[in-house]
Amino acid sequence: MIILKNIWKEYKLDHELVFTALKQINLKIEKGELLSIIGPSGSGKSTLMHLIGLLDHPTRGSISFEGKDISKLSDDKISMLRNEYIGFVFQQFNLINNLTVLENILLPTIYTRKKLKYNPKERALEIIEKFGLKGKETSYPNKISGGQQQRVAMARSLIMTPDLILADEPTGNLDTKSGKEILKLLIELNNQEKITVIIVTHDQYVADITKRQIKIIDGEIV
Amino acid sequence: MTYISFILKSAFSDLLRNKLRTALTSLGILIGVSSVVLLLGFGLGLKEYIRQQFESMGTNNIYVMPGNVLGEGGGMDMRSSFGGVSFDEKDYIDLKKIREVTYVIPFSMKTVKSEANGNTEYSSLYGTSEDVFEGLNLKVEDGIAFDKANVNKRSKVVVLGYKLAKELYNNSQLALDSKIRINDMSFKVIGVLEEKGGGGLGGDQFDMAVYMPYKSAYVFNPDKDFLEMVVTAKDEESVPIVKNKIEEALLKRYEEEDFSVAEQTEFLETISSIFSILNLGLVGIGAISLLVGGVGIMNIMYVSVTERIKEIGIRRAIGATKKDILSQFLAESVVLSLFGGIAGLAVATIVILLIQPYFPAYIDALSMIIAIVVSSFIGIFFGVFPARKAANLSPMDAIRYE
Repeated sequence: MIILKNIWKEYKLDHELVFTALKQINLKIEKGELLSIIGPSGSGKSTLMHLIGLLDHPTRGSISFEGKDISKLSDDKISMLRNEYIGFVFQQFNLINNLTVLENILLPTIYTRKKLKYNPKERALEIIEKFGLKGKETSYPNKISGGQQQRVAMARSLIMTPDLILADEPTGNLDTKSGKEILKLLIELNNQEKITVIIVTHDQYVADITKRQIKIIDGEIV
Repeated sequence: MTYISFILKSAFSDLLRNKLRTALTSLGILIGVSSVVLLLGFGLGLKEYIRQQFESMGTNNIYVMPGNVLGEGGGMDMRSSFGGVSFDEKDYIDLKKIREVTYVIPFSMKTVKSEANGNTEYSSLYGTSEDVFEGLNLKVEDGIAFDKANVNKRSKVVVLGYKLAKELYNNSQLALDSKIRINDMSFKVIGVLEEKGGGGLGGDQFDMAVYMPYKSAYVFNPDKDFLEMVVTAKDEESVPIVKNKIEEALLKRYEEEDFSVAEQTEFLETISSIFSILNLGLVGIGAISLLVGGVGIMNIMYVSVTERIKEIGIRRAIGATKKDILSQFLAESVVLSLFGGIAGLAVATIVILLIQPYFPAYIDALSMIIAIVVSSFIGIFFGVFPARKAANLSPMDAIRYE
């Protein structure tokens, strides 16, 4: 489903100095997989996640997503792929503070160009109930706990029925109990709905919940 | 929630988050729009007022003036209007002989000191013919107008404009049959005119004048000349014929460039074109403040984009296209600008309503539409640069921004 072939990512620091964030990455992720990308901070794991999440382009190499060569797609097409196929869960939750919980969850459906087969509001309310957020629909993100905010972010990532969830340090800002709940939800989604789940983490305990682990150090898979 | 209502709702909620900032930014547009609407209202009001003044004097009037008043380009050449010839009684008699002419009204003009009832006023003195009242629609309220006999006998009688009579006598009734001293010569007031109106705009030239038989006025006008003559044709169709005949008659005595014969419509057109230029100038001055307001919007939108880089990144990550981000910020700047525009329109409307009793300003649907369209346009024009900056951020850089 996602194939990264010979990926390099370099940043120009000034005229001559070039920082290489990723070196010759080859990676194939099958549909329905549960895997983690693990590495210390600065290892390039976030850069890799941004490439898989179609938020960035590699300096060299090719990315194929659902059989499509990303380098040949327009920015609008790539935005639509993110919208329809990928759900993001971030360490800082990344909710929009002046939108309510319900509006945050519905935001991807506003931007979609796809004709939805379901009523987005009904689906959002179902997910809210399932995630134990009932009664918080009209609350604003800064008025609920961190664990609740991360569940709102999860709900937002699910509203478009994605094929892939990319979770970047999803437990990083949570206490142990809330963190465990979030990981449990991610595993459930992978088991029950066959959604591909990629967890990016520096924490070996988190990585250990997945069978496949990709270790990355200094921009290289080891 | 449809896309449009969503975009508008986000724009409103973002603007409400920073109420003071929103208010101050709109203030720039408010000042710009209200000054444009006000200046436009003043200009158009003045133009309309002058047109009405002319039309109230009758529409079949032809003006005979010294100098080449209506220049080649249709503009009014003020220098030459002071040159040229001055007319005299012979011209007056010649013009009266034209068959299609109803009235000929010569004018000699002088500023005089009038004393009566213990009061003193300075005003214009018009030495003119008995036709002035019928020909220029000046109605006598009290007493009588002077007649041809008064002119020929050089009777020492005057008719006063409404306002002058009021200033001198407090009550115009008291003026009748009283003595008035004009430049230390004594005359009898035989009539007072109805108010011609025109607010405090110098449009009271008819109300604030002394009317005297032109022969009687020779004492103040030793050259016995006339500054201008107004000729009234018997109907609208004969206006061009009369005009030609006047020119023919005058060419026997004067050079072509020494006098002008103008129809009311030509005169109105000239005035109209002068006012159009004036209006354009006024609106141009107002537009400068609009421009400054627009720059204020651009400035604050750049700030807004920088403050919300992270939010832009989040929206891009969940599937917003560049166009979505562009629309969001454009909607915000248009709402901001429209808000200022509508408030500015309201302020201008109130000011115009307040000063209308004293000044012929007016506001119409056109200036309202212009205000709304221009402020939307300013929102788009000055919003598009910051909005493009927002749209062109790299999603990854934006979402990592702290």
